Amino acid sequence: MDRDTELALVERLREGDAAAFDDVHLAFNSRVFTFLLRLSRRRDVAEDLLEETWLRFVKHGRRLRADTRLGPWLFTVARNLHVSYQRSRALENSATAGLMALWPTGSHRSSPFEETAASELERRIEQALAELPTAGREVLLLVGVAGLDHSDAADVCGLTPEALRQRLHRARQALSRALERDATGEISGMERVTS
Amino acid sequence: MSEPMIDLLRNLPSATPDPARAERTRVRCRTRLSAVAPPVATVPKPLGWKTQLWQPLIAVLGCAYVAEAVVQALRSYGRP
Repeated sequence: MDRDTELALVERLREGDAAAFDDVHLAFNSRVFTFLLRLSRRRDVAEDLLEETWLRFVKHGRRLRADTRLGPWLFTVARNLHVSYQRSRALENSATAGLMALWPTGSHRSSPFEETAASELERRIEQALAELPTAGREVLLLVGVAGLDHSDAADVCGLTPEALRQRLHRARQALSRALERDATGEISGMERVTS
Repeated sequence: MSEPMIDLLRNLPSATPDPARAERTRVRCRTRLSAVAPPVATVPKPLGWKTQLWQPLIAVLGCAYVAEAVVQALRSYGRP
């Protein structure tokens, strides 16, 4: 969504235009849900937090500043809701196995081999992501998956750009290590089976 | 960002929320947005005739009081 379109949408929202809400919902619903799902690792929680995010959005719809950036606004609310949820429930569920089957692959694969290879890589990345601490996972999700630039991601997380850069660097290293561990574990597992 | 790790993340499939619930939420939010009253611009009310009369009167009385206090002070302590 280009900046002019975004500003026009904000203006229409400030006037209470319900059709403008539909456009924003269409543009961001899946993105915010994906962020929340990978952050919380629970589909039911992600669904609840997504609904609350939209309810807060319409509550503030008419009071949005004219120069509001919708993506960072929505991701900030979603992230804050998740932080509140974590604090209130003190949950850190590491189970992700059942989640994978619920995610549609979406993209076209040209052959069964490529499909299998891609799914395997995705599974490994998802698993490695799930093992990261929340702070590292959220910056990777915002920058890598949601596509926010560093400045916006820093705003969403309440960090300075420099702090975000450092956290992102550490998270990338941790993700690499987790992927390497996963690959090493698979190879040693295969060796045990074949010997 | 050309970082390979970030590229890998960017290519992960996106998730889709439950369509029925998403639709319910959309309709609910739509209704709320339309129902919320627009922010009322605060236009100052025109002052009533009583206020228009009393405000200058109180100002005049206040000035007279202060002037009289100064006069009395000068009388009591006098000029050197």
